[in-house]
Amino acid sequence: MAMVSDERALAKYKDEDMIMSPLLYLVGQGDRLTPEEATEVFFSVTKLFQANQPSLRRLVYLAIKELAHTAEEVIIVTNCLTKDINSDVDMYRANATRVLCKITDAQMVQQIERYLKQEIVDKNPVVASAALVSGQQLIMHNKGDVVRRWVNEVTQALDHKSPMVQYHALALLYLIKQHDRLAVSKLVQSMCQQGARSPMATVLLVRYVARILSEEVTEGTEYKDMPFFGFLEHCLRHRSDIVMYEAARAIALLPNVSPAELQPAVSVLQRFLVQSRPAVRFAAIRTLSMIASSMPLAVTSCNADMEVLISDPNRSIATLAITTLLRTGSENSIERLLKQIQNFLCEISDEFKVKIVVAIHALCIKYPSKYYALMNFLGNALREEGGYEFKRAIVEAYLGLMNKIPESKETCLSHLCEFIEDCEHAQLSTRVLHLLGKEGPHMPEPGKYIRYIYNRLILENAVVRAAAVSALASFAAESASESLRKSVAILLRQSLMDSDDEVRDRAVFFSQKLGLEAYQKKATAPPGPEEVAELQEDTKQGMNIPCPVPNLEVELTRYLSSGIFDTPFDMTKVSKAALVTSKDSEVSARNESLFGDSTGPDAGLGVSAKAQVDLAEEVMATPEFSSFGRPFKSCPPKDLTEAETEYTAKVIVHLYEAHVILEFICVNTLNDQLLEDVFIQVDTSDVSGLGGMTIVPAPRLAYGEPSRSYVCIDRTEVDEYPLGQLACTMKFSVKDMDPTTGEADEEGYEDEYGLDDLELDVATLMAKPGELPSSFKSAWEALGPDNEVADSFMLEQHDSISSAVTAVMDLLGMTACDGTDNVNDRARGHILLLTGVFVPGVQVMVHAKFVLTSECVALELVLRSELHAVSELLANSISGSD
Amino acid sequence: MFSQLWQNILEWLQNLFFQQEMELTILGLQNAGKTTLVNLISTGDFTDDRIPTVGFNMRRVQKGGVTLKMWDLGGQARFRTMWERYCRGVSAVVFVIDAADYDRFDTARLELQDILSRRALDGIPVLVLANKSDLPGAVKDIDEIINTFGLTEINNHEVSVYSISAKNRVNIDVTLQWLIDHGSKKTSASTAAAVVNPALHNSQQSTPAQSASAAPTTSTETPPSTS
Ligand SMILES: Nc1nc2c(ncn2[C@@H]2O[C@H](COP(=O)(O)OP(=O)(O)O)[C@@H](O)[C@H]2O)c(=O)[nH]1
Ligand SMILES: [Mg+2]
Repeated sequence: MAMVSDERALAKYKDEDMIMSPLLYLVGQGDRLTPEEATEVFFSVTKLFQANQPSLRRLVYLAIKELAHTAEEVIIVTNCLTKDINSDVDMYRANATRVLCKITDAQMVQQIERYLKQEIVDKNPVVASAALVSGQQLIMHNKGDVVRRWVNEVTQALDHKSPMVQYHALALLYLIKQHDRLAVSKLVQSMCQQGARSPMATVLLVRYVARILSEEVTEGTEYKDMPFFGFLEHCLRHRSDIVMYEAARAIALLPNVSPAELQPAVSVLQRFLVQSRPAVRFAAIRTLSMIASSMPLAVTSCNADMEVLISDPNRSIATLAITTLLRTGSENSIERLLKQIQNFLCEISDEFKVKIVVAIHALCIKYPSKYYALMNFLGNALREEGGYEFKRAIVEAYLGLMNKIPESKETCLSHLCEFIEDCEHAQLSTRVLHLLGKEGPHMPEPGKYIRYIYNRLILENAVVRAAAVSALASFAAESASESLRKSVAILLRQSLMDSDDEVRDRAVFFSQKLGLEAYQKKATAPPGPEEVAELQEDTKQGMNIPCPVPNLEVELTRYLSSGIFDTPFDMTKVSKAALVTSKDSEVSARNESLFGDSTGPDAGLGVSAKAQVDLAEEVMATPEFSSFGRPFKSCPPKDLTEAETEYTAKVIVHLYEAHVILEFICVNTLNDQLLEDVFIQVDTSDVSGLGGMTIVPAPRLAYGEPSRSYVCIDRTEVDEYPLGQLACTMKFSVKDMDPTTGEADEEGYEDEYGLDDLELDVATLMAKPGELPSSFKSAWEALGPDNEVADSFMLEQHDSISSAVTAVMDLLGMTACDGTDNVNDRARGHILLLTGVFVPGVQVMVHAKFVLTSECVALELVLRSELHAVSELLANSISGSD
Repeated sequence: MFSQLWQNILEWLQNLFFQQEMELTILGLQNAGKTTLVNLISTGDFTDDRIPTVGFNMRRVQKGGVTLKMWDLGGQARFRTMWERYCRGVSAVVFVIDAADYDRFDTARLELQDILSRRALDGIPVLVLANKSDLPGAVKDIDEIINTFGLTEINNHEVSVYSISAKNRVNIDVTLQWLIDHGSKKTSASTAAAVVNPALHNSQQSTPAQSASAAPTTSTETPPSTS
């Protein structure tokens, strides 16, 4: 509303000076306008082009930029901005360039291209940078076709006098070449040799080098032997501290970096710890804390300096110092550290409180003997002030501990019971109540939890009351004790008349289902013990959801949004395999790790919120396959080409009950070619159980832009599993193209390109279950011995248990239960428990016993599954591989 | 020579103390000559660039204490829906037509009628300029123009029309004169009529310019007369 009156004010004030304040207000407000409001304001702002006053014009640019997303028809200012780009006021030129590139579309860009190219080589640094940054914006918003033709100008800008321009030029040049590995490598190499003058550009260079290193490193090579690593080491001694820091961080982030390679980086960070500027100390301790989470030993040399930081006036630094020390310190320093944290826990922000909780959780796992002290700390923390995320982290920590340290269960539950007595977050209360319902009945004294649950029933809002009803009912469903059932019945009686429908329905449902009515009404005789057992079994069966809840949610959402309700939703058709997601796209994932705010592998408690995309999203959105529904499994993308080739191809294998769909993602790295009608020819003659094929080609494959093509292969029989090698050839028609103008020849010619074979193995057909069993033992017993296959093997090529364990897991593609994938280095024997779901939904479990003998590793394997054929197939795959 | 014309007009304008600023909107299909006309008025030069206006072009001419603001709008179809936004509250609307582009007469007529039927524009005086009279075959006859573009059917506006050539500067003086007369509603036609200065005519281009007023149903003012 305020905006509408502002707009009137804008239109009314013709006087330039008076207009500034409402405009500033408009930009600064930050609240969202409706498209209509935004359009009105926008057009009013365009009228201000009549004034030629620099300060006002600057505001006009700002306003247009802010409104560009919401307002319609912003293209109307194109002419005015073009005029400003050609003016002789440098401020106009720079700002108009940025705004114009923001509002323009891919077609319009061509009309302004010549101005942008001129600006890139302009003497004025502000103008040159504006054009360079706009070029980056164009590429990032898919309007960048023209930008790829500016290589000469941008290269020239690399030598600009201004460090800022060098920096922007390098960033743009990299973006232009990013899909061409060889070109990137050349660029980085020449920059490393000549040395960038600007520290900012050097920082970029460090990031590019780190990226190349992590992509090119192969097993067995050391970073030390790779030429680019020398550049990073050299940067550790740079005169600018941002470059030194960046190099240290880059080295720390290299995958599998060795302690020796890491050491100089840690020394640099250690020196930063005692610097006077807080930002430098913060950066250093943050990176050290990240290193400590995976390689605590590498950081112990800094312990003394970090101890000092505990009393740093900056609380963020102090917190990071403590959480790092918790990882690197010895067991006997824990109690002292905990005391120190307690002193300032109330002074730090929730974000850091969460970090501390994560660190404590990790400590509990590492030093189970200390769990009591640590848990008391968590209990105190629960009583502290703090937001939802903080409390949630604590509750999650308790849940994690209960699973890992069974003897802590009772303490955990009693802490959580105290917690819900005074908890303002309904979501957490319901979670704890659910947990009490699940675990409480099996604890030595179930009765003591009932009081806590009942309190919720009389004190809380409807959502929590409903959860409390279910939790109470679960005691009646699990317990054989008549007196306990009777108390539950009586406690539930008042909920039968609850004002809320959900609460009442649940109370009525459970009372009837579990035969509790007799106690509530006193009219009928209570059921006898046998009948009770039957009722209980029946209720538990009925409550059972036959698939993982996240899968159910995804499928229900899809069903509802499809708008087609001819067939009812079928829960039994929902896949039991875990949904496979991957980082957004490869490119953005890389950008994330390069430029993003990666706080290290703190993900254990689900606090990381990286954007994940559904691997099956594209295939389900393809019209040809949308009727197939969700695939049983989508395998992570696999490269079918070497890295530096003319064309690169990746494949995502999607498995369905009756089909296999191969989703090929191809990239053309030649800027002088346009490919059309691209498809992959797949030879299935070596693979059994595959029949007819449908091909969906990619209509065009332009330079640097990934495109998808599909091959859908029918499966002939459900129990004939597709295993073997698929030979793949990429076929297409090529049109030669002039890289500078982007014009392609009229006529193309047919060509083909050989890709690596695609192997479909047992692991391809095996998916991770959506939910891991909470206890392997009970799930194993539930599966039963009907389709059991047992066999023993000598794994001759292995001389350690851990390599044998890894090999078996890789071969079967199954997931370890109860943490049995952690192998003690010196162990002479090990038991590995695995679970998995085999296409199209066959549950499989494995009990594998490894014993180290003098020459090799002996394996005793017991396999259970829902289908005998599957058990045999899997057992054979191990003997076949040996 | 052209700046001489300006000089005279400005001097006259400065004498009218209430007439310090006027705001115009120039409409018409693409390629009619709008931008050319605006440039001619503001710089005195005919520039032949063929870059179509993407969006709008704002010209503000300031001479002495007088300001003339011209909103020259792009003629492409995608911009026509936005014309109205730049017409509200202006002193006059100028509609430029390419008098030799027969194929698009119909479109021009429809667009003209459409924009003038908007309530927000009611009462704003309109000047229709049939430009490019220098081209062979250009429609120059005022009655023919009035008929072709249905100018008598327009209500709620005072409509005037001239045949002009921006290239040869034919009837630019009367155009300016008309603009001055309509620059403000306070200006009376009789005062304005007095300033026409025949000496400013380009005598080489002796095409007798005609002008007529169409459908001045609500106006009591006398239409501009033949110069
Ligand atoms: N022969 C002739 N050409 C003209 C005249 N006025 C404009 N033009 C040309 O018409 C073309 C379009 O003019 P422009 O002002 O860009 O038209 P707009 O789209 O209405 O702004 C240009 O090539 C001008 O040189 C005129 O009076 N006579
Ligand atoms: Mg124009």
